[in-house]
Amino acid sequence: MVRNASPTAIALQAQDAARVPLIQVRDLRKNYGALAALQGISFEVYPGEVFGLIGPDGAGKTTTFHILGGVMEASSGMVDVLGQKPRNARLNIGYLTQQFSLYLDLSIDENLRYVAGLRRVNEADLQQRREKYLALMGLEQIGGRLAGQLSGGMKQKLALCCALMPQPQILLLDEPTTGVDPVSRREFWDVLATLASEGMTIVVATPYLDEAERCHRIALMYDGQINEVGTLKQLRLNLGLQRLEVRTEDIPATEQVLMPLVEKQTADLVDVQMFGDRLDVLVKDPTQAEPEVRRAIAEQGIVCQSIQQSEVTLENVFVTRLRQQGSDPPFIPLPRRVRTDSQVMRSNGDVRSAPVAIQARQLRKTFGTFQAVKGVDLEIRYGEIYGLLGANGAGKTTTIKMLCGLLPASGGEIALAGQTKNLRSRELRKRIGYMSQKFTLYDDLSVVENLKFYCGVYEVPTGYRQQKIDWVLEICGLQGQENMLTGRLPGGWKQRVAFGASVMHEPEILFLDEPTSGVDPLARRQFWRLINNLAQQGTAVLVTTHYLEEAEQCNRMGFMVAGEVVIQGSPSQIKAAQPGQLIELRVDQTQRASSLLKTQLESWRVSIFGDRLHVVLDQPERELPKLQSVLAAAEIQLLAQRVVPFSLEDAFISVVQRTEMGTKHRVD
Amino acid sequence: MKRILSQAVKELAQFRRDRLTLALALLLPLMTLLIFGFAIRLEAKDIPIVIQDFDNSQLSRLYTEKLFATNQFTPVNWQSAPETALDYNFAKAAVMIPPDFSQRVTGNQSSEVQVIVDGTDVNNARVIKNSIKATTQAFLQDQKLIPENRLVVPETRLWFNPGREESLYIVPGVYAVVLWIFPSLLAAIAMVREKERGTILQVYASDLTAGELILGKALAYLVVGLGMAIVIMGIGALIFRLRFAGDPMPLLIGTPLYLWASVMFGIMLGARTASQNAAVQGVALVGFLTALLLSGFIYPLSNIPFPLSLVSNVVPARYFIGITRDAYVRGIGWSGVWFNLLMIFGLGLILFNVARKALSRMQLGD
Repeated sequence: MVRNASPTAIALQAQDAARVPLIQVRDLRKNYGALAALQGISFEVYPGEVFGLIGPDGAGKTTTFHILGGVMEASSGMVDVLGQKPRNARLNIGYLTQQFSLYLDLSIDENLRYVAGLRRVNEADLQQRREKYLALMGLEQIGGRLAGQLSGGMKQKLALCCALMPQPQILLLDEPTTGVDPVSRREFWDVLATLASEGMTIVVATPYLDEAERCHRIALMYDGQINEVGTLKQLRLNLGLQRLEVRTEDIPATEQVLMPLVEKQTADLVDVQMFGDRLDVLVKDPTQAEPEVRRAIAEQGIVCQSIQQSEVTLENVFVTRLRQQGSDPPFIPLPRRVRTDSQVMRSNGDVRSAPVAIQARQLRKTFGTFQAVKGVDLEIRYGEIYGLLGANGAGKTTTIKMLCGLLPASGGEIALAGQTKNLRSRELRKRIGYMSQKFTLYDDLSVVENLKFYCGVYEVPTGYRQQKIDWVLEICGLQGQENMLTGRLPGGWKQRVAFGASVMHEPEILFLDEPTSGVDPLARRQFWRLINNLAQQGTAVLVTTHYLEEAEQCNRMGFMVAGEVVIQGSPSQIKAAQPGQLIELRVDQTQRASSLLKTQLESWRVSIFGDRLHVVLDQPERELPKLQSVLAAAEIQLLAQRVVPFSLEDAFISVVQRTEMGTKHRVD
Repeated sequence: MKRILSQAVKELAQFRRDRLTLALALLLPLMTLLIFGFAIRLEAKDIPIVIQDFDNSQLSRLYTEKLFATNQFTPVNWQSAPETALDYNFAKAAVMIPPDFSQRVTGNQSSEVQVIVDGTDVNNARVIKNSIKATTQAFLQDQKLIPENRLVVPETRLWFNPGREESLYIVPGVYAVVLWIFPSLLAAIAMVREKERGTILQVYASDLTAGELILGKALAYLVVGLGMAIVIMGIGALIFRLRFAGDPMPLLIGTPLYLWASVMFGIMLGARTASQNAAVQGVALVGFLTALLLSGFIYPLSNIPFPLSLVSNVVPARYFIGITRDAYVRGIGWSGVWFNLLMIFGLGLILFNVARKALSRMQLGD
């Protein structure tokens, strides 16, 4: 294996040269009783490759990992790992399972020592690798801390250390970054890139499609089958579509204009997706479609701010492919009982003039000596979707719990629907919906029993109950299975049922705490259409999320860092408020270039995206030439460079890092 | 061997940090020892009894005094009909002495004293009945009312426990119950917790064998169990004044063997259940029932009816009670208990194999 070559070079080399796959799977099948979890999948993974497995919940990813890891027997088909059965190759495989595979009541060192014992690593190697990997993950200072006291990101890094302990040839990572905050996710993937460049072969599943773009090859999995395998470029090419980013003054109205064009199928438009302050329109031929879109928008008298052409994202590919499979969950607006005052108010004009639904002034919360929330100001109007973003432990959940009255505030004022007192009153609670981070459904009740229970709790009038329950079942695709035990549903489906349960009583104010964690892209899209629909009907929505790509759907948002909201505004405002520029570089040795640039700049400013590098520069005119000469001196060839707009994730990481260094930003 | 050790070391580190298991290992066994040691008393004492003396002569009063002299009965003052005292649960027995008692007895005629005993508690009723019979016999002898020269006289001597101290009977049995329930509970929790939290996948993904996994866990909880045994046997000896009656070697060797069987029982149940709840309930229910009822701890083994008596043959607590009673009460030593040790070891081996079988694939099931 060539060291320090770029991942692409390795992937190409692997494909061109020997073509001796490390992992070979042929027509693999697995049945659980009557359920066929895998229906004959085939793929190869080559040495040094990062191979991504992406697909919705219940697609069979975890089953595939179990079989590759040798912990489960296949029903039929051929699996060959390192030239033998997975079971016999176990000592050469590092396997990170989906649940945290750590002992939470053991310290970091104890966890490592246990794995070393389990995997026949001798004492000298243990010490040497312990130092090497803990340093790589940035955990070397806290070896004595209990694994249970680490943040989600640190836990996964430690789990990775454990998996690396026996120096396996293959790493199997089953959703290693689910529930991990963006900063830690990016660090985790940087570590993976480093490992891959050292020759490690990695198979990884992830629900974050922006992450999956960093894989060398990607397999799209659905319903126990692999539909497509290829590099990101191939997948884009196969899809044969382009993306138009459309920004207008009234996004919802624009969506309503463009949707009929998609449905008619005569136009060039294939799909429209709403993202907070923009629409993504997938088209066959952008040169033809762009005027078409402009015309359609202008005909309705909507002012079009900009239309930008760009490549489709992996999410576009994935969603389009899934829709071609006919697995698009239906979008049905919540059947409504009455028009509330807030709805009337909303329909009169735009959000900015609607009354304030949720207000917080100098909201504070201390647990003992720990200040979880330090003076948060929020103002959310009816019809508005407000996103609260932040890393684990930034105080998002605490803030939400205080706002909906579940947790008394240590200081500050809260007004809900105009009321400042009696936030727990029966009347007020009926007007509020809350979906918590943990599942609030009873696992040992059937789906329909759960829904009936919540109908009763929220006092949905008896005459409307059946209609509401049917609606939830329909949006979840669970008709005919309503008597299934809730505990048997995959996580993402439970989330959908829980969401349905929290809005059945048509709340005016809706709190959603991480509603989409563990939900696949297609269902996430449906989620957001439902949330958007509720907002258009006048509901005020406060949502927290880890997925920055979906945070784009929010009208306004705030970034929380260590208990404070450090920046607020619309997605565009926040991105525009970022000082400096984001430069995308294409070089021939991505990994080496990244390590080199990190010696020149603060490490958060450099990150790898697939075969490209993203670099944040405050004064590009001055800094860029310097970096170019550094790269040239190291004989790294710069293939292309361009300025790209900040993504929310770039903005988020930049804000977090700058805040931690003491600078504050505010947009109003 | 090294991997068994590393498994055990990890297990002990986890054990140290978990409050629930610490409580299970230290506080609960001690409490069980104290509750059982003090609360279980089989000897009937201070039974409330109503005496209705229609005679009220010197002789009749002598008779009643004799009844109370055993310390077994306490008088209950009851004015109305004596049988109502039984109805309202104020007394367990009533003795009615007829008006012509002394007259007839001194006249060498038979006099009928009526005794009513509450038969709700079958066992106690028999005790009361026998006791009154025996006191009456003694009364007659004292009063020289029956001839001295009886032909058969049983000369009874109590061996091993001449003072009939009940704690000598109960406490060694409690050791067997406590050392059966708690080590197995801890081991079952440790086993099932791995499955519940999904960490077992890491074990499956290594090439550790089922035997190594089980032995590693067993070793850890054997150590914990030994600590527990030292604590409760030490405290038991202090509080209940137990002393070794003979050679302590069978107990010193039998205790680790018994703990091994206990831990294997827990691991076996842990390997076969899916949640901590199920495992805890399984161990507690099966463990308590067998160790309390089918072990000869309280109820004599010979009293267990036919099909159940077969089950009691495979209850390790039964054999360990034999060993503890020998160590503290009987003092016979090896010749009396070698078979018990053999059985305990054998049962432990069977449990180990059942557990290993349950985990043998070291893979996820379908």
